[in-house]
Amino acid sequence: MNDYAIELSGVCKSYRYFDLQNIALRLQRGTIMGLIGPNGAGKSTTIRILMGLIYPDRGEVRVLGHHMPDEQIAAKWDIGFASDDMRLYDSMTLGWHINFMKSIYASWDDAYAQLLLKRFELRAEQKIKGLSHGQRVKASLLLVFARRPKLLVLDEPTTGLDPVARHEILRELTSVMAEEGRSILFSSHNTQDVEQISDQITFIDRGRIIDSMDKEIYLDRWRRLRLEVPAGIEAPALPGVIGIQQTGRLAVAIANAFEPQLPNAYENSGARVHAVENMTLEEIFIANVEHSRAEVNS
Amino acid sequence: MKTEVLLQLILKDFQLNSLLTIFTMAGAAIALAILSIGGETPVVLGTVFFFLAIIFGACLIPMQNIVNERKKQTLPFIMSLPVSSAQYGVAKFLSSVGMFLAMWLMLLGAALYMILARHVLPGGTIPMDLILMNFPLIGFCLTTGAALVGESEGWATAALAATNSSYGLAWYMLVRHAPSLTKTWAGPIAVWSPLVFRILGVEFTIILLTLGLTMYLQSRKRSFI
Repeated sequence: MNDYAIELSGVCKSYRYFDLQNIALRLQRGTIMGLIGPNGAGKSTTIRILMGLIYPDRGEVRVLGHHMPDEQIAAKWDIGFASDDMRLYDSMTLGWHINFMKSIYASWDDAYAQLLLKRFELRAEQKIKGLSHGQRVKASLLLVFARRPKLLVLDEPTTGLDPVARHEILRELTSVMAEEGRSILFSSHNTQDVEQISDQITFIDRGRIIDSMDKEIYLDRWRRLRLEVPAGIEAPALPGVIGIQQTGRLAVAIANAFEPQLPNAYENSGARVHAVENMTLEEIFIANVEHSRAEVNS
Repeated sequence: MKTEVLLQLILKDFQLNSLLTIFTMAGAAIALAILSIGGETPVVLGTVFFFLAIIFGACLIPMQNIVNERKKQTLPFIMSLPVSSAQYGVAKFLSSVGMFLAMWLMLLGAALYMILARHVLPGGTIPMDLILMNFPLIGFCLTTGAALVGESEGWATAALAATNSSYGLAWYMLVRHAPSLTKTWAGPIAVWSPLVFRILGVEFTIILLTLGLTMYLQSRKRSFI
């Protein structure tokens, strides 16, 4: 069996005002990948390509060992997909949707669906049009989770949710992962959610993957150094440092390949290191996007 | 397995659109009841309402069943199921055509019953009735094709506007260029002349071409959502 739940290589798709360029992505089975990018970065296009809903112009896509889009039907039996632009039928009840899913999926877990109804405080007899946004998202995810899919592909599932609803959904996602071999691809522009549950992080911007790696390594490699430099001197960009912002004698250096000897190197160059700080995923994301855009523009 | 999912999708569409079908059938039933009263005014009113009910169904089934799926964003939910875009197209096509044809055939049967058994109209009107009942069927096929292939409310609305405004023109052309049709409709027996068969042939050719082209174009799509 292939070790990867998702494999994209050399995937390109051109639109009039947007190009998805040479996307390469691998999601190991049993892991959660957070796909982070600003609005319009290409997250949804990438996800739609891997779901077989859009044909790529070039490149290869394999999901759960199936070639997409040609084998999308076989693949989709084991994929649970939900996106923020997905709606259920307003005029029907949640119970009707549950019965509809049961009529299609032999793997439907009724006991788990009942449990999720209680946990998410939903009522099967309620019509979808009577549900709040948060309840609708939970209803959609219930329909996905109770199918017990091997791979969950979630495109911005927590967008527009209040903190409590977001917490409930993320907790449920974590518990879904307790089952061996499950994999999740989770796109968001909310870095907090991604940081909370992901094993791997992939940054995408302007149709290009700008970085993809293990979350812990990622957080470990990025640091912010607060420096004080002698008057009239510019803080140098030492190896591993991608950007420096200086105001007078105070400078902030952002390192994307931090090594323990970096503070010493700055001390040796005449600067005083006031602090070496960890960065949040959001700060890393912004710095990474800005660096990538500067590289492209230059 | 594939057929089962398709069947579930078709059944789902029938359930979702059951009210629309019931209302259309009820409207046509009321029209036939008016028609059965007899006399000039009820016959004219009943006939007008009868065709209005069919045209109502021909307009609303594609809009409700196909256009609304995109507009109300339920399409991603359906496409998350184990179906391809081509299969989705087939399911939508079969459910829309099935719903309309079921209604159309029942109404055709009811109209024939009213003519042959209840004698509310002379038997000579049957060929013309069939020709006229095919107008909304053609309109329905064109609107369904535009809604499925065009993927937008705009295309479907344009097709609706074009077909609805051409019913009057088609009626005028028939009366103007095929006067022999109207000569026999007051008679007690249906006259199936070669001209009637030619007109029906053209109508069914348009229907088959529209449906065939719709399925062909749908199967060649490379971007679905």
